[in-house]
Amino acid sequence: MTGVQIINALAVLLIITSLMVVETRRPHLSAHLYSLQSFVLVLIFLCLAVFMKATPLYIWSITALITKVILVPYLIIKALEKVGDPGEPGALLSPASSLLLAALFIGLAFLIVTPFHMQAILKLKPALAVSIAHFLLGLLCILTRRNALKQILGYCLMENGSHLTLAFMAYNAPETVEIGILTDAIFAVVIMSVIAISLFRVLGTLDTDKLTLLKG
Amino acid sequence: MLWYALGSILVPAIGSLLVLLLPERHAKKVGQLFSFLAFVCGLLLLVGFAADRASFTRDLVTIGGISFYGVTIDALSVLVNFIVVFIGWLICTYSAGYMSPENREHPIKEGVPRFYAFMLLFIGSMAGVVFSSTLLGLLFFFEMTGLCSWGLIGFYGDQKSRKSALLAIVLTHAAALGLYVATAYVFVNTGSFSVNALNELTDTGKIIAFIGILIACWGKSAQFPFQSWLPEAMVAPTPVSAYLHAASMVKVGVYIFARTVLATGAVPQVIGLIGAIMAVVTMIYGFIMYFPQEDMKRLLAYSTITQLSYIFLAISISIYGSKMAFNGAVAHIFNHAFAKGLFFLVAGALAYTTGTRLLPMLKGILNKIPVVGLGFIAAAVAITGVPPFNGFFSKFMIFVGGFEIGKLYPLILVLIIVTILESVGSFIWFLKWLGASVLGAPSEPVAGASQVPFAISLVLAILMVMTLISQYIVLTLLS
Amino acid sequence: MQVSGNLLVWLLVIPFVVSLLAFWARTLGAGARRFLEAVHLIGITLLLVLTLWVIKLVLINGSLLALSGWFYADKLAAVFVLVIGLMGFLNGLYSIGYMRHDLVTGEVDRKGLSTYYGFFHLFLFTMIFTVLSNNIALMWVGVEATTLGSAFLVGLYGHKSSLEAAWKYVLICSVGVAFALYGTILVYSNSFSVVQNAHDSMLWTEIVKHARLLDPMVMKLAFVFILIGFGTKAGLFPMHAWLPDAHSEAPSPVSSLLSGVLLKCALFAIIRYYIVVGKAIGSAFPSTLLLIFGVLSIAFAAFFIFSQRDIKRMLAYSSVENVGIIATGLGLGGPLGIFAALFHAINHSIAKSLMFCTSGNILIKYGTRDLDVIKGMLKVAPFTAFLLGSGALAVAGSPPFNVFISELLTVTAGLNSGYLWLMILCLLFLLVVFAAFLRLIGEAVFGSPPENVTRGDVSFITILPIFLLFILMFGLGVYIPSPLSDLLKGAADIVLSGL
Repeated sequence: MTGVQIINALAVLLIITSLMVVETRRPHLSAHLYSLQSFVLVLIFLCLAVFMKATPLYIWSITALITKVILVPYLIIKALEKVGDPGEPGALLSPASSLLLAALFIGLAFLIVTPFHMQAILKLKPALAVSIAHFLLGLLCILTRRNALKQILGYCLMENGSHLTLAFMAYNAPETVEIGILTDAIFAVVIMSVIAISLFRVLGTLDTDKLTLLKG
Repeated sequence: MLWYALGSILVPAIGSLLVLLLPERHAKKVGQLFSFLAFVCGLLLLVGFAADRASFTRDLVTIGGISFYGVTIDALSVLVNFIVVFIGWLICTYSAGYMSPENREHPIKEGVPRFYAFMLLFIGSMAGVVFSSTLLGLLFFFEMTGLCSWGLIGFYGDQKSRKSALLAIVLTHAAALGLYVATAYVFVNTGSFSVNALNELTDTGKIIAFIGILIACWGKSAQFPFQSWLPEAMVAPTPVSAYLHAASMVKVGVYIFARTVLATGAVPQVIGLIGAIMAVVTMIYGFIMYFPQEDMKRLLAYSTITQLSYIFLAISISIYGSKMAFNGAVAHIFNHAFAKGLFFLVAGALAYTTGTRLLPMLKGILNKIPVVGLGFIAAAVAITGVPPFNGFFSKFMIFVGGFEIGKLYPLILVLIIVTILESVGSFIWFLKWLGASVLGAPSEPVAGASQVPFAISLVLAILMVMTLISQYIVLTLLS
Repeated sequence: MQVSGNLLVWLLVIPFVVSLLAFWARTLGAGARRFLEAVHLIGITLLLVLTLWVIKLVLINGSLLALSGWFYADKLAAVFVLVIGLMGFLNGLYSIGYMRHDLVTGEVDRKGLSTYYGFFHLFLFTMIFTVLSNNIALMWVGVEATTLGSAFLVGLYGHKSSLEAAWKYVLICSVGVAFALYGTILVYSNSFSVVQNAHDSMLWTEIVKHARLLDPMVMKLAFVFILIGFGTKAGLFPMHAWLPDAHSEAPSPVSSLLSGVLLKCALFAIIRYYIVVGKAIGSAFPSTLLLIFGVLSIAFAAFFIFSQRDIKRMLAYSSVENVGIIATGLGLGGPLGIFAALFHAINHSIAKSLMFCTSGNILIKYGTRDLDVIKGMLKVAPFTAFLLGSGALAVAGSPPFNVFISELLTVTAGLNSGYLWLMILCLLFLLVVFAAFLRLIGEAVFGSPPENVTRGDVSFITILPIFLLFILMFGLGVYIPSPLSDLLKGAADIVLSGL
C-alpha cells in the first residue's frame, strides 16, 4: 500500500466514524465515538507527516491528540454528567436517509474539489473531498439533531473536517495559526457547553425544539 | 446680503433650540421674538435687493471640491423668503393668542414649547429650501420641512392626528424619492450637486431629472396623485394649516419646480406638457371636491390644491417660452400665500370664538364679529381673483401668458380655457358661502361667540391689507 | 513609508489587560464596583486616545506594521479601528450608568458586574484583533473569538430568553464562521503555491501583491465560502437568523456594540477578501454577490422592521437592513460606492448606538421593550424622547442626520453604475423602513404614558453618552470633516486598487 492509499483509506474510516457519531442515540456514546474518530484524524496527520515529509504535522498530531481525543470528549462527557444525559428525543431523519444524504455530500464534495489543480494536493483529492464531506456531515448533525450537546458534537465534526482540510492544504503554515484555530475551537466547545448547561437549568431539557421564546 | 439670507435660516433654528431649553413660560415670547428677528432679516434682504438687484450664488459647504450646500439670492428667492418669514412671524404672533386654554375648539394646556420649536425650525428649513443653490440642499430642507409638518400635524397627539401626520410624511417622503433620484442622477452625470448643473445634461437627461423633480414637487404641493394627505392634514392646529399647508410648505413643490426651470435654460417641452396636463387634472379634481365639503378647513384645503395647480400650469407654460407665465407663477405664489393664509386664520378665529368650523352652522359673521367677517370677504375675493385684490393680478398674468402660448399650441389653449372655467366656477361657489355665512343674521354659535384676542385681530388686519397690496411688491421686484 | 507600529500592540494589550483586571475584581468584595468602574473608565479612555493616535499616524504615514507584519493598519483598517474605539468609549460610558441600574435592581450581582466588564473589554480586544490582523488565518481566529467573547454578554441575565439567544448566537455564528475557515484555507494554499513562503503567504499584504497570479476558480469558490461565513456574522440575509435574538436579548450597551461595531468587523473581513478576489478575477463576480445579498437584506429586513412590536428587535432588524445597504454600496463599487459604504458603516454605528442606548433608558423607565406599552415619552422623559425621536429619524434616513447623506451617496453610486431601477426599488424598501420608524416615534413619543411610570429623565450618566452620539450624528449630517473624508477616500482607494 502506498502512502496515498493509506491516507485515502483512513479518510473513509473517518466518514464511517463520523456517521456513527451522528447516528448514535445516546449522546454519551457519541462523545466516545467522537474521541475515536479524532484518533483516526490524528493517524491521518501522522501519515501525512510521514509520507509527505511535512514535519509540522508531527506537532499537529500531538496537539490534536491532546485536545480532540482527550480534552473535548472529556468536556462533553462532564457536561453530560451535569445534566444527567437525558438521551435524545428523536431525530428529524431516519438513519437510512442520513446515509443517503451523506453519500450526496460526498458527491458534492468531489464536485467542489474538481476545479483544483494545485500541485500539492492533486494526489490527495479524494481525501480532500472526504474532509469537505465530513464538514457537511457535521452541519447535517447540527441541523437534524435536537439535543444541544449533540449539536455541539456536530460542530466538533465540522471542526475536524476543516482541520483535516487545513492539514492537507496548509500544513506548512506558521504554528501560531494552528494554535489560534485550536484555541478557538476549544473555547467554542467550552462556551457552548456552559450555555447548554445553563439552558438545561432553566428549561429542564436539552431539547432545542423547546427554544421557542424568540420568534419573528 | 448673504448674512440676511443665512439669518433667515439660522435665527429661527437657534430659536427653536432655545424654546426647548428655556422654561415653558417663556416659549411664546421667545417664539415671537425669533420669528420677528427672522422677519427683520427677510425684510432687510427684500429692501436691500430691491435697491441693488444683485443676484448671486455662493457655495457654503464644500467637501472634497464638491459643493454640498450653497445660497442663491435672486428675485425669486428673496420674494418667496419674504412671505416665509413675514407670514411666519404673523403666525407666531397669532398663535400666541390661539394656542391658549381659552380656545373653544381645542383648549391648549400643554405642548406650547414643542409647537414653537417645530414652528421656528420650520421657518428656518423653509428659508433653507428657498435659498438653496444645490439639489442636495433642496432635498435636505425639503425633508426637514416635511418633518416639521409631521410634528405639527400630529401636535394634538390623538390617534387621528397621528395617522394623518404619518400619511402626510410618508406620502411626501415617497414623492421625495423622485428628488433623490434626480439629485443622484445630476451628480452622476455632471459631478455637481448644483441646481445649475441641470443645464449640462442632455435633453434625455433633463427629462429624467425633471420627471424626478416633478414627482417630488407634486407630492409636496399635494397634486394628483399625491393629493390625499393635504385634506387629512387639516387636523393640525389652524395656524399650522394656515402657514404650512396654505402659505408656505405646500409652496415648496412649486418653488422647486420654478427654481429648477429657472436654472435650466431650455427645459424639454414634454416636461411642460406633462406639468400642464397634470395641473389641469388636479385642478378639475380639486374643483369637484369643493362641493361635498362643509368643514371650512377642508374646503380651503381643496382650494389650496387647485390654486397650486394654477402655479404648476403657469410654470409649465413658461417652459414653452412665456416669461409672463413665469412671473405670473411667482406672483401667484406670493399673493396666494397672503390670501389663503388669511382665509385659514379666519377659519381659526371662527373656531376659536365659536367652537366650530362647519360652514352651515356659521351665519352672520360680519354682524357679530366684524373683523373676522371682513377677513372672510377679503380672503374669498382675493382667492377667486376679484380686482383690486391681489389674486386677480397674478391670475391675469397667468392667463395672458397662457393665451400667448396657446396661439401656437392648441392643447395649451384648451387647458387655459378649462382653467378659466374653473376660476369662474370657484368664484361662484365661494360667493355662495360668502353670502350664506358672512351676511345675514347670526346663527346660534356665532351669536354666542367669544371675544377675538387682540393678537388675532391684529394679524387678520395686517393680512387684509396685504391682500390689497402684495401684488405691487411682486411687480416691483419682477420688473 | 511604513512605521513600526508599537502603538498597534498597545491598542491590543490595553483592552486585554483591563479585561483580566475586571475578571480578577470579582475577588474584591464590597469595593469591587468602584474598582471595576474606575478600571473600565481608564480602559475605554485609553482606548479612545490610542485609537485617535493610530488614525493620526495612519493619515500621516499611510500605514503601520507591527510584530514583523502580523499586525497591520492601513486607512481601511483605521476606519474600523475608529468605529471600535469611538463606539467602545461611548457605549462603555453608557454601560456605567446602565449596569449600576441593573445592580440596584438585582438584575446582576457583583460577580455579574465583573463578568460584564471583563467580557466587555475582551470583546473589544477580539474586535481590534480582527481588524488589525494582517494574517488571514488570525483574522478568522479573531472573528470567531468575537463570538466567543460576546456570547456570555448576550446571555448575561441568565433568563430563558437570553440564554436561548446566546445559544443560537454562538451555534449559528460558529457554524457560519467555520465556512469562512474553508475560504481562508483555500486562499492560503492558493497563495502558497504562488508565494512559496509559508509565513508570507498568510499575510494579506503579500496576498494582495500576488493576487493576479492566483487561481481564478479557487478564488471564486473561496469568496463564496467567505461571504457565507463572515456574512453570517455580518447579519446578511438569509444567514441573519441569530441576529434579532442576540441583539434584542443582550444588555442594551452590548446590543449597541453588537449592532454598531461587531457587524462592521465581519464586513471588514469580507472587504479584505473582496479586494483580493477583485484583483484576482475582476470585481464583477464578488460585486454581484454582494449586491444580491445586500438588496435581499434590505428588502427582507424592511418588512420585518415594519411588523415588530418589540423596540429592540425592530432595531436589530434595522441593523440587517443597514448591513444590506453597506453591502449594496460595496457591490455597486467605484470610488463613490465604496466611500458611501464605508461612510454608512460609521454613520450606522453612531445612529444605532444612539438608538440602542436610548432603548436602554426606555427599558429602565418602562421596564419593557413592548411598543404597545411604551407611550407618552414626551411626558415621562422629554429629553430621552427627543433623543429617541432624533435617533429614529436618523435610522429612517432623514435629514439633518448622517445616515441621510450616506444613503443618498449609495443611491448616487447605484445610478453611477447604471442600476436606476434597482435603486428605485431600494428606495421603496427604505420608504417602508421610514414609515416604520416614523410610526414608532408617533406612538412612543406622543400619546399618554402608562400610569405606573414615574416622571423625569434617567440619570445624567446615562444621558451624556447618548447626547454625545447625538452631536456626532447631527454633525456628520451637515458636514464631513476633512480628516475623516481623507481617511474614507484613502480607504476607498485601498479597496479599489489593493494597496
